[in-house]
Amino acid sequence: SAAAPATSSSLSTSFATQSRNAILVSHRQKGNPLLKHIRNVRWAFADIVCDYLLGQSSCALYLSLRYHLLHPDYLYYRIRELQKNFKLRVVLCHVDVEDVAKPLLEVTKTALLHDCTLLCAWSLEECGRYLETIKVYENKPADIIQGQMDTDYLSRLTHALTTVRHVNKTDVVTLGTTFGSLSHIMDASMEDLARCPGIGERKVKRLYDTFHEPFKRAV
Amino acid sequence: MVQFHEQIIGELLEDPNGGLVVLSSGLSLPKLISSLLHLHSSTTGTLLLLSPPSLKSLILHHHHSNHLQLPSEISAEFPANHRLSLYSSNSVFFITPRILIVDLLSNKLSPSLISGLVILNAHSLSETSTEAFIVRILRSSNRDLYVRAFSDKPHAMVSGFAKAERTMKCLYLKRLHLWPRFQVHVAEELERDPPVVVDVRVPMTKYMVGIQKAIIEVMDACLKEMRKTNKVDVEDLTVENGLFKSFDEIVRRQLDPIWHTLGKKTKQLVSDLKTLRKLLDYLVRYDAVTFLKYLDTLRVSESFRSVWIFAESSYKIFEYAKKRVYRFGRSDGAKPSGQGKSVTGKKRKSKGDDKNEKEVGGTSSASTSSGLVLEEVLEEAPKWKVLREVLEEIEGERQKQREEFQVEGEENDSGIVLVACKDERSCMQLEECILNSTQKVMREEWEKYLLNKVDLRDLQTRYKKKPKDPKGFGVLDGIVPITPAPNAQASSSINKQEHDALLAAASELRNQAKKDCAIGDDPQPHDSSKKGGKGKRKGRSKKGPANVQSPGNNKAARNDKVETSDSENEGKKDEINPATVDKPILRKHTQESNGSRTAKPLPPAHFYALESDQPILDTLKPSVIIVYQPDITFVREIEVYKSENLSKNLKVYFLFYEDSTEVQKFEASIRRENAAFESLIRQKSMMMIPVDQDGRCLGLNSSVEPQASSSQNSITRKAGGRKEIEKEMQVIVDMREFMSSLPNILHQRGMRIIPVTLEVGDYIISPLICVERKSIQDLFMSFTSGRLYHQVETMVRYYKIPVLLIEFSQDKSFSFQSASDIGDDVTPNSIISKLSLLALHFPRLRIIWSRSLHATAEIFASLKANQDEPDETKAMRVGVPSEEGIVEDDVRAENYNTSAIEFLRRLPGVTDSNYRAIMDGCNSLADLALLPVERLAELMGGQKAARTLREFLDAKYPTLL
Repeated sequence: SAAAPATSSSLSTSFATQSRNAILVSHRQKGNPLLKHIRNVRWAFADIVCDYLLGQSSCALYLSLRYHLLHPDYLYYRIRELQKNFKLRVVLCHVDVEDVAKPLLEVTKTALLHDCTLLCAWSLEECGRYLETIKVYENKPADIIQGQMDTDYLSRLTHALTTVRHVNKTDVVTLGTTFGSLSHIMDASMEDLARCPGIGERKVKRLYDTFHEPFKRAV
Repeated sequence: MVQFHEQIIGELLEDPNGGLVVLSSGLSLPKLISSLLHLHSSTTGTLLLLSPPSLKSLILHHHHSNHLQLPSEISAEFPANHRLSLYSSNSVFFITPRILIVDLLSNKLSPSLISGLVILNAHSLSETSTEAFIVRILRSSNRDLYVRAFSDKPHAMVSGFAKAERTMKCLYLKRLHLWPRFQVHVAEELERDPPVVVDVRVPMTKYMVGIQKAIIEVMDACLKEMRKTNKVDVEDLTVENGLFKSFDEIVRRQLDPIWHTLGKKTKQLVSDLKTLRKLLDYLVRYDAVTFLKYLDTLRVSESFRSVWIFAESSYKIFEYAKKRVYRFGRSDGAKPSGQGKSVTGKKRKSKGDDKNEKEVGGTSSASTSSGLVLEEVLEEAPKWKVLREVLEEIEGERQKQREEFQVEGEENDSGIVLVACKDERSCMQLEECILNSTQKVMREEWEKYLLNKVDLRDLQTRYKKKPKDPKGFGVLDGIVPITPAPNAQASSSINKQEHDALLAAASELRNQAKKDCAIGDDPQPHDSSKKGGKGKRKGRSKKGPANVQSPGNNKAARNDKVETSDSENEGKKDEINPATVDKPILRKHTQESNGSRTAKPLPPAHFYALESDQPILDTLKPSVIIVYQPDITFVREIEVYKSENLSKNLKVYFLFYEDSTEVQKFEASIRRENAAFESLIRQKSMMMIPVDQDGRCLGLNSSVEPQASSSQNSITRKAGGRKEIEKEMQVIVDMREFMSSLPNILHQRGMRIIPVTLEVGDYIISPLICVERKSIQDLFMSFTSGRLYHQVETMVRYYKIPVLLIEFSQDKSFSFQSASDIGDDVTPNSIISKLSLLALHFPRLRIIWSRSLHATAEIFASLKANQDEPDETKAMRVGVPSEEGIVEDDVRAENYNTSAIEFLRRLPGVTDSNYRAIMDGCNSLADLALLPVERLAELMGGQKAARTLREFLDAKYPTLL
């Protein structure tokens, strides 16, 4: 017990750096068997208003449907406590009852109308995995859900040019062969664009506006 | 027209509301429909047909052959006003449910224009299907409408609880008409002058019997294992049921709700049973070599998890299958010459063998240095020989008749013998068997097999990189394989030698083929038969023409005639399946090719695949039919054909394998159909069809009632009903969503459905709430494609409450995976990771998890409770830029050039973190295109990214030449 103060002081200094990489868990969650399943990320108890603090502006509330059946108002009060401090507010709903329709409807409605993202999990393992993943992916770009894009020149060019409405793949080929490179396309005049077969008046205007209108419109 | 068809139509017309007709399969439903359409009078209104495409072509065929005006199709390509004029033209149209429902909901089609609806797939309907939705809307404002629903799949009408009754209720029908084959009028008519039937029972070979027995043993073992799991209702689990495709459905239906809780073992058992059922079928359908080949591929693809492959009896399946094709013997035994010591010696030797083989054309041997000799057995399918004998007999009888009457046969008789088998593959093979010799067919299959073996070996070596020990469960018969199963992989020395010998034979063949190529001979032995005299066969085919007899010539001429009459039909078929283009539909053979082999002449024969679903009997008008693989539907078709052509002397040969599952299956399918009808008859007697005072049926679902009555009230009591109408909930639904049943359910709940084409979202339930609906399968697919990301992106841009609705299926489990499938690490491919990432990137996105369609409707209704109704015109404009390029309601669009920003972000080198800096640093994209790389590096915060972008901008577009 003599060593305790020394370690605790070193702990408190490392706590700040540590906490950035760890999930902070509210003391309310003490005894939740879910904690056993957070293994890929460190976690620590802390005094926080949400159940799990998953990043600078993301948090989660844990709700078991069985508990909700006993205390239907619980979720609402917990959400109200959060106030407007978080960007991402997850309601992690553990589906642990057979007859889900009614309680899930209530939880869905509460979450939806009070700016919470509802995630359902069917086991404690799955609940734990959601918490881990949100923490681990905190700063991850979305490319794995944006679909595989081919990296060859033509597909990238098509990908970019088709952002302009009604421009199709054929138009991309027409533009490419006419102007020779993307910078020439972007610099083309309205007349030059209009001379391309298949590119009508409206498409010409859309293309020209996309390239020449300023990014930020003057207000 | 057969009489019982008249009776069916007569009974059906008695009730002005229509009815549901269930008849035995093969009792020519298309003809029945064709006659029914003929009765449509153009004064009453338009008649619409909802039909699966396969039936449609058959109906059109009958219509065509009766010189009636063909009903056309209303498709989505027609512009709305054209469709409207068609709807009011009082004629008959085919239409798809999706177009019909959208036109009804958007008031393009007034229900009063429609006099009747004919539905041809009654067995696949349910309360939630679009057809039921259509009928509900039509009925609610058009009381004189008749609905006539048909099904010729009685067993599908009894699957599930009170299916027939529920189907009738959702179509608002009161009358059920059952027309089984055993119905007295049907039976009377079909049996008045039945065709002459010759039942030929062909004994199977010893090995075939062995294989069949083994497969059934393994199936039985799998079933026992399945019962042990206590997860399924045992009653349905019999080997007899296991013969049918529907068996898989029975099992799946029972297991689907708990599918995620099942262990891998049970899941594997389910798929094993399916495999075994296929094997039983293939045993009698394929030749020995092809069957072995199939087994080999199964072994390669299945060896890891399969339960059945490691069962004791499976060993026999593989062993016997092999014995039907080849055998190994010690070379010092039978063959004195088959011993080669050195490698070079082997090569020389095998060449010698090959020559030998060419000359004799019989069994040959390839040998390895180890002294094992590969002896070809190449067992032919017993039916092949019988088929030839039957054909010979037919020709013999005809000859006799001709001699007696001194006539060349009747004029209207094409003389073609129709041979019906299950699939195209058997057709082609049988044709070859008759055209050439059966030995040749076997030899070709064998050569293909050997060549394939080399490829397969490549595959297997790749597989070997994975853990070698088999992961099979070895639960059957309590046997746990400690070493790999005897036949699993060439591990023992004998197997290794066998394998080597096969490979040696294969490579030899390949060399031979190469050589042939070099000489310019036909490289593919398979082709040579079709092209006629070429290469080796030249000598033989020269003899051919000399042997041709005069009747043969006449017949050939007549065949041509038939072929031309058939050509239109052929064209149609080619359209459907381009692969068959070069394959002649009339597989007739001429005398030349086999003239040299056998002196007996054969009649011309047409080989027809039952699965191709053509009105073959009516086009070909055969007087002799050989049913090579029995099929209950085709048997009925023959009966109907006979009763329509009473003057014709029809003779039908059935070729059965004796004591085979083929017979069992045929008999069981009759029993099954009869049982289905008996059950339907019972159900009919107990049916509870409520009838209200108007004589109209009310739906099963009580929730329909207030909806139906309220819409009625609105007509009769306009003033009183007005307030109610104003409060009616509205949901705007994207056109494409009508493939799903949700609009139907929402409508049932009393919401008004407004179909429009939406640029953003699937359902707009309030001015704030936009919903993108994903079924589970969709969800996974659109995550992979990136579609979901972009859909959410646009929803977030235009709506305050963007919602992703994840909709589970009622009869499947409500979860993604079981706890045991979750794994130990955070992996990018897991659905958990993808959903988390979506939530992180779109914190404003709301997610609805719905157990079922009905739950979704419930949630929608409760969300709408305190919200305004959505605006149709506004919703349609969302995301669609106006002429000025400015998107309405897009807050950003007023201040930003959104399409330029989107464009910028898709350029290489531009990332989430640097695109804002770029926008600050230059005015427009055109400006950006002119910036030097140094300036770009400043803006983008790095040389590398800047170079990537600059290079992309300046890259020379690849010319097309």
